[in-house]
Amino acid sequence: MKKILVIDDDQFFSKTLEAALPADKYILLSAEDGEIGLEKLKSEKPDLVILDLMMPKLDGTAFLKRLQESPDLPKVPVLVSSNLSSVKKISDVMTMGAVGYVIKSDESLQSIVQDIERVIGQETKKE
Amino acid sequence: MYMFFGLVVLVLITFVFYFYFSLKKREKEITKEREESTRRIYELAILKELGERVGYSLDVEEILQIITGSLRQFIDYTAVGYVVINPGKLKVNTHIEKSVSREFLSEMKSRMVASLSALTDKTYDLENIDEVLSGAIVIDEIKQNIGSLFNIPLVIDGEVVGVLTVAHVTSGLYKEADMTILYKITGQASEAVTRLQEVVKKEKGKLNAMVESMGDGVLMVDSEYRVVVANPAIKRIIKADVSKDVSIFDFIDILGGKFDIRGKLEESVSKKVSYVSERINIDEVFFEIGVYPVAHHLAKGGNQILGAVVVFHDISKDIELERVREEFTGMIVHELRSPLDGVKKIIELIVSGSVDTGSDKFKEYLNMAHQSSASMLELVNDILDLSKLQAGKFEVNKEKANIKEVIENRISFYKISADGRGVSLDLWAGENVPELLEFDPQAVKQILNNFLSNALKFTSKGGAILVSAFVYNPKEALPNLDRSKVSVFPEAADLKVKSPSLCVAVSDTGIGIPEDSIKDLFHTFKQAKLNPVDKEIKGTGLGLVIAKGIAEEHGGTVGVVAKEGVGSCFFFTIPL
Repeated sequence: MKKILVIDDDQFFSKTLEAALPADKYILLSAEDGEIGLEKLKSEKPDLVILDLMMPKLDGTAFLKRLQESPDLPKVPVLVSSNLSSVKKISDVMTMGAVGYVIKSDESLQSIVQDIERVIGQETKKE
Repeated sequence: MYMFFGLVVLVLITFVFYFYFSLKKREKEITKEREESTRRIYELAILKELGERVGYSLDVEEILQIITGSLRQFIDYTAVGYVVINPGKLKVNTHIEKSVSREFLSEMKSRMVASLSALTDKTYDLENIDEVLSGAIVIDEIKQNIGSLFNIPLVIDGEVVGVLTVAHVTSGLYKEADMTILYKITGQASEAVTRLQEVVKKEKGKLNAMVESMGDGVLMVDSEYRVVVANPAIKRIIKADVSKDVSIFDFIDILGGKFDIRGKLEESVSKKVSYVSERINIDEVFFEIGVYPVAHHLAKGGNQILGAVVVFHDISKDIELERVREEFTGMIVHELRSPLDGVKKIIELIVSGSVDTGSDKFKEYLNMAHQSSASMLELVNDILDLSKLQAGKFEVNKEKANIKEVIENRISFYKISADGRGVSLDLWAGENVPELLEFDPQAVKQILNNFLSNALKFTSKGGAILVSAFVYNPKEALPNLDRSKVSVFPEAADLKVKSPSLCVAVSDTGIGIPEDSIKDLFHTFKQAKLNPVDKEIKGTGLGLVIAKGIAEEHGGTVGVVAKEGVGSCFFFTIPL
C-alpha cells in the first residue's frame, strides 16, 4: 500500500480522487492547507504528495520552498496539481523540485490517476 | 511845406522800419516757436519710437544703443557713450561723432565710470573694462578736450544699471532743456523695462512654481546639454540631493544602458523631434521618459533651438493597476474553474460507474456538485452586479419598506447556519427607526447577506453577531447601543453622515481585520487575505464592493471598524 498525501483546500478534489484511485493499492490522506500538509508530511511519511498552489496560510510555492530548504523533512516526490496554467508558474514550480505538473481542469480523473501511478512506479524503480 | 513833407516821410520811414522790425521780431519769434514745436514733436516722436523699440526688450544695452543711436537728431555732441554693469566687469561703448584724441576718450570714460561709481556706491577697476568704439577715427593731434559733459543714470527696478554720457568739445553747451529731454527718454525707457521685468518675473515665478510642484520629473538642458532646469521631482527620481545642482552625467549614470538620454537629446535638438520611451525602471519605479525639443520662435521668422526638455512620468501606478487587474482576473478564473472542475470530476466518477447510486457516497457527491454549482452561480451573479455597478447600470428600485422586517428576514435565513456554528445572531433596533423608509429592499438584502455571511465566516464557536439598526442625526449624539454581547461599533465620526440617516451595523466577535488590510476591503480588485474560521468557505471579496455600490446608489455610505482579535463591524447608512 502506498500513501498519498493530497494538500488542497478544495475538498472535492481529494474526495473525487480518493474515489478514483484503486482502494486496494493506495491510502489517501488529505490536508487543507500547506501548514497542515507539512505536519502530515512529517508524521505520515507519504510516498507521494499532490500539491495545490492557491491555498490559505502556506501556499503551494511556499510549501515547495520549505521542502527545499529544510534537510530534516522527508524527501518525497511532489506532483503539483493546480488550476493555474501560466507557463511561468509551471516552470517556477518545476525548478523548485516538483516531479510533475497537472492542470486539474484540463485532465480527467483517470489521467491524473495514471500520472500518479507513473510517478510512484518511477520512484519504486529508483529504490 | 517841405518841412512838413519831410516830417511825414520820416514818420512813414519810422513806421515802415518799426513795422519791418516788429515783423522781423515776430518772424524770429515764430521761427523760435516753430523750432520749439518741432523739437517738441521730435521729442514726442523719439519717445514714441523708443517706447516701441524698448518696450519689448529687456536687454539694457540694446535700450542704451537705441537711445544713443537716435540722440544725434536733437542734441549736438562730439561723442556719446554708455557704461553698463555686466556680470564680472563693466562695459563701455562710445560712439565718436567728430574725431577726438585718445585723451578725450579716456577722460570721458573715467568721468562716466566715476559717475556710475558715485551712483552705485561701488568702486570699479578702470583697467578691467570691455570697450567698444565706433564712429569717427581717433586722432591724437586734436588737442581739444572735453568742454561740456553730462551723465544720465539708467535706473531699472530701483537699481542703477548704467550711465549714459554725452560730451562736446565746446564748453557751456548743454542747457537744462537738453538734459531734461534725455532724462525723460531714459526715464521712460527704464520705466518700460521695469514694467516688463515685473511681468517677466511674475510669469517666471508662476512657471517656476509650476515646474517645482510638478509630480513628474522635469529637466531642461540648453543646446550644449547643460542643465538649465531640474525640478525637485527629477532630483528625487535620480536620488540626487534636492538642494544641489545636477548635471547630465548624473542622468547618464543612473539610466545606464536602459535609456540613452544623451543620444535622444542630441536627436531631439538636431532633428527637432519629440520622443517618448517605453517603460523604463529606476529600481522599483517605472517611468515613461519623454524628450521634447525647445524652440524659440524668432520675430523675423523661423525657430532657434534653445535646448530640450526631458519629462520623467511615473507610470508605476498604472503598472500596479495592470498587475492587480491581472491578479483579479486570475483569481476569478480560479474561483470559477475550481467548482466547475469539481462538478466535472464528480460526474466523471458517477459515469464511470465506480460509485453505487444508492450509496451514501453517491449522495455526498451529489451534494458536493450542488454546492459547487451554487457557489459558481453566486460568483457569476456577483460579477454581473459588479460590472453593472461599474457601468453605472445597477438599478436601485426604491420603495416604502420596513427595514426591521428586512433585517429579521435575513436573520432568520442565517439563523440555522449560526446555530450550527454555535454563534448567536440577534437584532437590536433603536426606538427612533421609522416603520417605513424609502429604499430598495432587495438590494439592502444583498448588503445584509454579504455582511452576515462574512461575520459568520470569521466568528468562531461561542461568539456573537449583532445587527444594530438606528437613526443617527449628526446634530445629536449617537443613540445608546446594546453593547452587552459585542463591543465593536462605529463611532459618530466613522459614520460620515451629513444629514439624519438610517444606520445598519453588523458587529461580530470574530478575528477582526489587520489595520493595513482595511483600506483594500472595498477595493474592486483587491481582497484582504484573511483566514476564515471555516476553511471550506472562500471569498472573492466582491460582495463588499457590491455592498458599497448599492449603499452609494442610495446616497449613503459603507464602512468598517475593526479591532484585531476583538471583532469587526461592517455598516451602511442611507439618508432619510
